[in-house]
Amino acid sequence: MTVAAASRRRRHISPVVWLFLLVPAAVEVGLVFWPAVNSFYLSLTKWNGLGAPENVGLRNYRDMFSDGVFREALGNNVIWAVGFGGLSVAGGLALAVALNKPRRGVGVYRSAIYLPMVFSLAVTGLFWRVQYQPDGTVNTLLGAVGLESLERQWLADPKTALYAVLVAAVWRQVGYVMVLYLAGLKGTDPSLDDASAVDGAGPWQRFWYVTWPQLRGVNTVVFAVTVIDSLRTFDIVWAMTQGGPYHSSELLSTYMFQQGFTFLNLGYASAIAVVIFALALLFIITYLVRTLKEEVS
Amino acid sequence: MVHSELSRRGLLAGIGGLGAAALLGGCATSSSDSGSGSSATLTLQSSLSDPSPKAALTKVVEGYTKTKVTLNTIAIESFRAQLPTYLNSATPPDVLTWYAGSVARDYASKGFLLDVSDLWTGSGACAGFSPALKELSTGADGKQIFVPTNYYWWGMFYRKSAFQEWGVRPATTWDEFIALCKAIKAKGVAPLTMGTGSTPWVASGWFDYLDLRVNGAQFHRDLLAGKHSFDGPEVKAVMEHYRELLPYIDPKGRSYSWQDAVTPLASKKAGMYLIGAFITQSVPKDVVDDIDFFRVPIIDPSVPVAEEAPTDGYFASARSKNVAGAKELLSYLASAPAQEEFIKLSASSNLPTSPRVSTAGFSPLVQKGIKLLNESAAITQFFNRDSSDELQSTADTALTKFLDSPADVDSILAGWQSAAQKVLNS
Repeated sequence: MTVAAASRRRRHISPVVWLFLLVPAAVEVGLVFWPAVNSFYLSLTKWNGLGAPENVGLRNYRDMFSDGVFREALGNNVIWAVGFGGLSVAGGLALAVALNKPRRGVGVYRSAIYLPMVFSLAVTGLFWRVQYQPDGTVNTLLGAVGLESLERQWLADPKTALYAVLVAAVWRQVGYVMVLYLAGLKGTDPSLDDASAVDGAGPWQRFWYVTWPQLRGVNTVVFAVTVIDSLRTFDIVWAMTQGGPYHSSELLSTYMFQQGFTFLNLGYASAIAVVIFALALLFIITYLVRTLKEEVS
Repeated sequence: MVHSELSRRGLLAGIGGLGAAALLGGCATSSSDSGSGSSATLTLQSSLSDPSPKAALTKVVEGYTKTKVTLNTIAIESFRAQLPTYLNSATPPDVLTWYAGSVARDYASKGFLLDVSDLWTGSGACAGFSPALKELSTGADGKQIFVPTNYYWWGMFYRKSAFQEWGVRPATTWDEFIALCKAIKAKGVAPLTMGTGSTPWVASGWFDYLDLRVNGAQFHRDLLAGKHSFDGPEVKAVMEHYRELLPYIDPKGRSYSWQDAVTPLASKKAGMYLIGAFITQSVPKDVVDDIDFFRVPIIDPSVPVAEEAPTDGYFASARSKNVAGAKELLSYLASAPAQEEFIKLSASSNLPTSPRVSTAGFSPLVQKGIKLLNESAAITQFFNRDSSDELQSTADTALTKFLDSPADVDSILAGWQSAAQKVLNS
C-alpha cells in the first residue's frame, strides 16, 4: 500500500513545483555556495581584487603560523568562545530559572533583560564605549564605592580591552539565551518537579537531576547558536576597539576584515575565513555527533 | 487532509511566484539603474564627516548644476578602512575626497585612479596651481591623478588666555619646551593632550615632527619610502625625544579620539595640542579667537626647518562610468569660488590651493599659518600621506604600544621594522 501510495503521490508533483524549487536552489547555489567555494580557491592565491589571482599554493596557510597577530587573534577567539559562551549560557540559564515561575511583574523583568537584544551590536558597542570612557559611568561608579584603585581605561588598556568588549557582548546575549531556556523550561513536565519535591529532593537536586536532563534539546540549540555567534562576532569589537589597542582585542573575524578589505590581501583573508569555517564546523559536528550518540544509547 | 495539502501547495506556489516576481523585479530595476545612471548622476564619496566641513561641502555641491551629484558622506575612520574597497568595486563612486602625495600615488600605481592630466594643462582648472602642488598630484608614471583644493599646517595649538593665566610663554627650543611642560604640569594641568584612542594616527604627528627636527625632511621621506630602517639608530634617537614627552601627555587621551582630546584644551584642563589647523572646527565658537599656535620647537639648529602641510582634495575613480562628468565636477570643485566658499563655510583654517583666491581677508591665525609655511625650508605631508594607509597602520600599532610601554622601545621598533618590511614588499 505504502509503495503504491507513494508512487502515486510522486506522480502528482507537477513540473511547475520543480521549477519553483529550482529558482531558490539556483539563488542559494549562486549567492551562497559558489562564493563559499570560491573563498576556498582564493585562499590558495594572492589577489588584491584586481586582475587575475596568482596561485601560491599553501603559502597563505604557512604565513598564518608565523603571523603573530593571527596567533593572538586565534588565542583571543578561544578566550572569547569560552567567556562569551560560558557567561551567556550560565547567566541566561540562571535568569530563566529565576524568572520561570509566573509572579507579579515577572514579565517586566523578562522584557527588560531581553531588551538589549533589540539593539544592533553596533549600537550596543557605542553605548558601552561611552560607559568605558575615562570619566564614564563604570569608573565613576567604582570611584563612588571607594574602588578608585580599580579605575582604568578599559578599552585603551590592552590587558582589559578584550574583556571589556566581552562584558558588553554578554550583556546583550544573555537575554537571548534566557528566552531560549524559558521556552525549554515551559516544555518540561512540572509534575516530575512536584513529585521529586514530595520525595524530598532539594531545589538544587531537583534542578540538576530532574529539570536539566529535560533541557537536552534546548542545550543543542543554545550550543550551536553560541558557537556560531562567538565565531562570527565582529560588529561589537569593530564598534568598540577595532581590534586595538595594537591587536590586543583582535578576533579572527576582525583580522580577516582588516586583511581583506583594508589591505586588500584577499587571498590571505580568505585563508583566515577558511580557518573560521573549519573551526565552526569542527565544534558543531563534534557536539552533534556526541549528542546523537547519547540519544541512541 | 486533502484540503490542507492543497492549500499548502497553493501557498507554496504563491510564495514561489512572489519570489520569482520579486527577483525579476530586482533584475529589472538594477539593469535600468546601471543603464541610465551612467550619465545622469555622479557619486561623490566624501570623508568629510565632521559637522562643519560636511555642511560646507554639501552647500558647495548644491551649487553645481550641470549634473545631478549624489554626495555620500562616510565617517572618516570607516572611509579610510574602506577606501580600497570603494575604488576596487565594479561600480565605484565617480569622485572621492582624499589626500595628495604618496598615498594617492600608491592607489594610482594599483590602477585605481583616473588620469586627470588635462585639468593641469592649458585652461584646465588646476593649470595655475604651484609646481609643488603639481608634483604632489603626479603619479609615478608622470600623469596627474589628483586635484588639490586646500591644505593646512600643523603646530602646537594652545589657548592664549590659559598661557597668560599660568604665566608661561611659547617655547622655541627643545629645552625651553620641556621646561614649559614642567611649568604647566606644576599648575595641575596636563601639558599635552593627544587623542590616540579611535584615531591612533594622531600619535604619528609627534613622530613625524621629532623625525623632521632630529633627522630632517629628506631622511624622513626616505624612511617612509623604505630606504631606512625603523629600528636604526636615527629612529631610536627620535624615540628618545618622544620618551621625554611621555610624562607630560594626558594619559586619558588613549581613550579619546582627536576630537575628544580638544575638549580638555578648550576647557583649560590641558595646555597644548600638536595637531593640524583643522582643530579650529572642533573648538567651541567663543574659544576660536583665543586659539593660537607656535612652531614645534627646534631640536637641532643645523637641521633645515621642515613643516607638515597636508594637502586635501579629490581624485576620480579609473572605472568611473562618466569620465567627462567626473572631470567637470573636479574642475568645479577646484575653481576659485568653490574653494573660497568651502573654506569659509567649513570653519577650518585651511588654505586655498588656487592662487586666484585672495587670503587677505582670512583670520590672523591663518595669516600666521601662511607665514609659518613660507618660512620653512621643506614641506612634508603626514605619515600616511608620505607613505601609504597600510604603512600608517604599522605606525599606529608601534606608537600606541610605545605610549603604553616605553621601556620596550627596542622590541617595538624591531617589530615595526618587520611589519613595515612586509607592507613595502607586498
